[in-house]
Amino acid sequence: MATDRQGFEIRVAAAAENVPLVRHALRAYLETVPMPEDRVAEVVLAVTEACANVVVHAYPDADGDLQVAADLDGDVVEVRVRDNGRGITPRVDSPGLGVGLPVMAAIADSIELGKANGSGTEVRMTFAVRDTASHPGSDSATLST
Amino acid sequence: MTDVNGVDRTTAGIDVVELVGENDLSTSAQVERQIGEAISAGRGVVVDMTEATFIDSAVLRVLLSGQDRAATVGVGFAIALGTTTGHAVRRLLELTGLSERLVIATGRTEAVAKAAEANPASR
Repeated sequence: MATDRQGFEIRVAAAAENVPLVRHALRAYLETVPMPEDRVAEVVLAVTEACANVVVHAYPDADGDLQVAADLDGDVVEVRVRDNGRGITPRVDSPGLGVGLPVMAAIADSIELGKANGSGTEVRMTFAVRDTASHPGSDSATLST
Repeated sequence: MTDVNGVDRTTAGIDVVELVGENDLSTSAQVERQIGEAISAGRGVVVDMTEATFIDSAVLRVLLSGQDRAATVGVGFAIALGTTTGHAVRRLLELTGLSERLVIATGRTEAVAKAAEANPASR
């Protein structure tokens, strides 16, 4: 793991018990940028959902890595969550509510899904460094069930 | 990381499952088991999140399924939030619309009272 004012990167085994580790490390990094506490909590929530997707979906039959990187560029934090597995793919027996992606989209100012390193998936999210009250993302991720 | 999640048994026939600190995919099975054991014993459930700083959607699924199961069995279910509940907890409930679907009370005492209203053990 490398943490400084310019960037953050961590790679762990894609296991549920490692998600808190990633979350705490990311929070420590975000506390070095001028981001309000409530906004940090929301960013950490969105990234946790992305990490949980990797743990649940990326490696159904094998072990693999979960990689999270973050950078501050001006007043925007960009976070990238990557796997080398099959990424976010439909799973009929998913243990989740299916709201992870909508929650990420509602919190982030932008979100892109793409291929990572030829295989796997990268979720790239940006978050403005600003107060939640001015954040337009009161979009909902309401359950449709 | 989660602190120790405990279960308190009240005289109103309600088990209080206390979520302390952070809970996510790594602890949701434990929370599900605690809720399930109470309901299986015919007791109502309060999930006390007044000291919860963080939950993710895996925990939210457990809360929703717990409430649904409690309704099926006919015991009470309520969630307690408080002034010390973390912003991420409230934001997730709000974003998913579950703050409208879950029975939510302010503080443990009010939550126990709400759960007891629907709990045959207390009637």
